[in-house]
Amino acid sequence: MRGLFLASACVCILAVGTISAFLLINGLPFFTKYPAGQFILGAEWAPLRDVFGILPMIVGSFYVTLGALLLGAPIGILTAILMSRFASRPVVKIMKPVVALLAGIPSVVYGFFGVMLLVPFVRETFGGTGKSVLVASILLGIMILPTIIQTAEAALNAVPQSYYEGSLALGATHEGSVFRAILPAARPGIISGLVLGIGRAIGETMAIIMVAGNNPRMPGDILKGVRTLTVNVLMEMGYAADLHRESLIATGVVLFIIVMAINFLFSFINRRRVQQ
Amino acid sequence: MKLRKILALVLALTAITAVALAEFDASRTIAVVSREEGSGTRGAFIELTGIQTKNAEGKDVDNTYIEADFVNGTSLVITTVSQNEYAIGYASLSSVVHNDTVKMVKVNGVEASTENILNNTYPIARPFNVVTKGELTDELAKDFYAFIMSKEGQAVVAEDGLVPVGNDETPSYTASGLKGVVVVGGSTSVAPVMELLGEAYTALNPEVEVDVQSTGSSAGVTGALDGTYMIGMASRALKDSEIEAGALGTAIGIDGIAVIAAPQNPVEDLSLEQVRQIFTGEVTTWDALNK
Repeated sequence: MRGLFLASACVCILAVGTISAFLLINGLPFFTKYPAGQFILGAEWAPLRDVFGILPMIVGSFYVTLGALLLGAPIGILTAILMSRFASRPVVKIMKPVVALLAGIPSVVYGFFGVMLLVPFVRETFGGTGKSVLVASILLGIMILPTIIQTAEAALNAVPQSYYEGSLALGATHEGSVFRAILPAARPGIISGLVLGIGRAIGETMAIIMVAGNNPRMPGDILKGVRTLTVNVLMEMGYAADLHRESLIATGVVLFIIVMAINFLFSFINRRRVQQ
Repeated sequence: MKLRKILALVLALTAITAVALAEFDASRTIAVVSREEGSGTRGAFIELTGIQTKNAEGKDVDNTYIEADFVNGTSLVITTVSQNEYAIGYASLSSVVHNDTVKMVKVNGVEASTENILNNTYPIARPFNVVTKGELTDELAKDFYAFIMSKEGQAVVAEDGLVPVGNDETPSYTASGLKGVVVVGGSTSVAPVMELLGEAYTALNPEVEVDVQSTGSSAGVTGALDGTYMIGMASRALKDSEIEAGALGTAIGIDGIAVIAAPQNPVEDLSLEQVRQIFTGEVTTWDALNK
């Protein structure tokens, strides 16, 4: 029986190990042919001339992630507070599966929703082509909601009831107690939910490629297009050859390192929470 | 709360429909839709329309408008264009010709069609040539060549999305039962269809191996002349110097690219220069085109 457990664990470790090894073995040779500095800090992407600079995509990834967070974080946290402290039992009973359903919608469906509804809406309202940082951020903001809501709600529920009761006893209102006593106590859990949301947003590809316009230049205007790291890989993998192909795998390596860094940040926050 | 949300949604939808039904506003930005870097269609399109230029170092520069909407697939170009009346895009002729959701824009007054590509009047098309040094003498190469030009070979060409050069009188091919290796080399654009032709040929003649090397059109012509390749491939017409050196080019199919717009878009005809201006971003609104 123990062997079975061990074997299962080994499959997981083997998968992570193989993927890491694959990425590094296939991605690193690129850096012997193309300087890493020019690759990461280069602002121009022109594979035809063998110019590979992915800074616009790195900035683009963080840009849409920030936009998603600006939208997803307040809505997510307030929803979690509602579910944890304000809503009646029947409402929570409906909300929980709804949030879970939101998490279960495949990203390509989100993409369709974006391209059929949000893109034309933005195009007709604000002009431009509609494929923009704005739509990508809205879409990602919705996609990270379940992650944020579920983690934040669990953190809020875990705060001892005595905090709330103590606050009430001191004369605070229900709202005051929730926002001043419970919310601060749940903060580390909420932050780890946000970090998980960032991880989800930065790794999202399918929905973004459909709504972002995918322009390989420095992003700026929120009504104009943007290309993220993930999109860069998916978009050009089909026809890329030689150095171009290797540059895409190297893009994957950079993305991998960024996501790893976010995960380390997540476990660091978690560890601090345990210590507290 | 819920009622207000539903109301807002209904309002939004009405707004969208109202705008969609409104007149075409020519002062709006042209939504340029382009394929991604590395796409063969994009490579051919930028070359034929002059979007691709050479820089001082002699390297090819792709001047496609950076604010274009980049999508990675022919069907995606078609969907994107069909949903936006201000959009313009391009796609392989074969994939658009049976599609009613977009219309093909005439270029230099010429409609994109198989006939106009065959009679050389539609400008965004290029022949895929096989190149030989004079008439073929090698039995095996001759047989493979005969297969390419046969009904069966041209069917493969058409299946790959090219305009076939064969007609009703094109002869059928019968397997020869020869043995050996056919070495074909040249254009990277022709290579994929040549690989398909090779596979179809090997299926009929199991003892023959077709070796397709993609090295570029110029290398294909040189290789055919110096005997490196039995048959060369070129995705452009032969140069005079090459013909003088004894190279004989024969089109095996023609690659046509249609410029497409949504059916509601009033644009019917663009000059090749206007197409270039749109796709390089020199002209960004529809009304600026007519000036």
